[in-house]
Amino acid sequence: MSELDGIPVPPPIDRPLVVHRLVLLGLFVSLIWKWSFLFVADQVYASLTVDDDFFPAFFRDHNVLRSAFLLTLIAICVSFFFTKYAVRWISGVVMLSALTILCLHQSSYNDATFTTAWWTSLWSLWFVSYVHVHGREADLRRPAFLSRVIISMILLGGAVGKWTGEYWSGEVLYQIYFVERDFWVFNWLRDHFPAETLREIAMWYSRNVIVVETVCGFGLWLLPPRWAATVAIVVLTSIAVFSNWLLFSVLMSLIGLASAGLFVRDRNPNAKHSND
Amino acid sequence: MVSPTQKTDLGFIAIMILVGVVVVWLLLTPLVPSVSLATMRRFHLGSESFTKWAMQFPIPAMYNFANQYEMRSLPPDLVDSILDPDKDGYLNHFSARVVTFADGRYHNLREGKDRWFVLRSDYRGRSLESHWHLKRVGEKHVVHRLDAQESVR
Repeated sequence: MSELDGIPVPPPIDRPLVVHRLVLLGLFVSLIWKWSFLFVADQVYASLTVDDDFFPAFFRDHNVLRSAFLLTLIAICVSFFFTKYAVRWISGVVMLSALTILCLHQSSYNDATFTTAWWTSLWSLWFVSYVHVHGREADLRRPAFLSRVIISMILLGGAVGKWTGEYWSGEVLYQIYFVERDFWVFNWLRDHFPAETLREIAMWYSRNVIVVETVCGFGLWLLPPRWAATVAIVVLTSIAVFSNWLLFSVLMSLIGLASAGLFVRDRNPNAKHSND
Repeated sequence: MVSPTQKTDLGFIAIMILVGVVVVWLLLTPLVPSVSLATMRRFHLGSESFTKWAMQFPIPAMYNFANQYEMRSLPPDLVDSILDPDKDGYLNHFSARVVTFADGRYHNLREGKDRWFVLRSDYRGRSLESHWHLKRVGEKHVVHRLDAQESVR
């Protein structure tokens, strides 16, 4: 710590390092969020084999699944605690490769947790190189832009598949969530409203999801960095809070990714209200 | 340290191109039947090859389409008209999860017997219905794809 007129001045924070660690933390939490489910799932895969030759043998092997998952966690931890470029880069490659396997494995391909984690780890690998080139004073505008482009695309992916009558009427989400899902929102609604009213609530719930995902899909990336980060964090959090706690496993990596936008410096430090 | 001006950010460009390709695919989904049917085949593990299926993995598809399934413990042609399926319901995405993913595998296959599945996805007048037989062989279930019918209204 240096001194200025006798007053100790704390060293400036290494913003790129903080950003990267936040993103890695989001990734880690995302992967272990439903650890109790994963523990049971591991036992199910070990005892109930589904032989489907659509998948190459490598992508059916239970040990490949286990190894890829553990390698991802180890790579995240190594990248979090080490600051040397080569170590972080190699960890990033391992992380991305292992997540690619998880996105293609017979037992995990359908879990959106690995899709969002894959995109986040792709950003993370690029970010390691970006900071290596630009140093600790790197402008975070581009990383923040890339993060919100990725989040916009993922939300657009959710929206597009719902642009259909079955979602606009609320039927799909009614059947998946409103009929018997044990979650505070749906339990409360079932306790307080008759079945016919529930259907109408499901319709507006579903339409709200479609509109929010569509607007964010098309517009989030256009917002200034801190606004985009804040909106993304609020929207992503609300998706889980109002539908399913387990969805935090899908969303936590994106919430970490979104936080990159919060660390972008004002273009003109003297301008009080500038945020783009 | 390399000067920022000395090096083009190829990684950034590559990721932006990948995002662009994914976005174009997404925006074509409601417009071009073959694109939405390709995603349905992806959900039903019915793409022409594993390679074609695997190429789609970066495309986000959370809660896409109206996906339904039926599970029967007897061959459907024997009981179609007289019995309801043993289980049925809606799924968020990737319909084949009722066989492959942990919860579906446990609930549908734990008894160690043959099972018959119907997977159906609907989107803007397009649909795909796949019929699977999970045949118990020794200590495992073997997937037999019986047929798949696509339709566009």
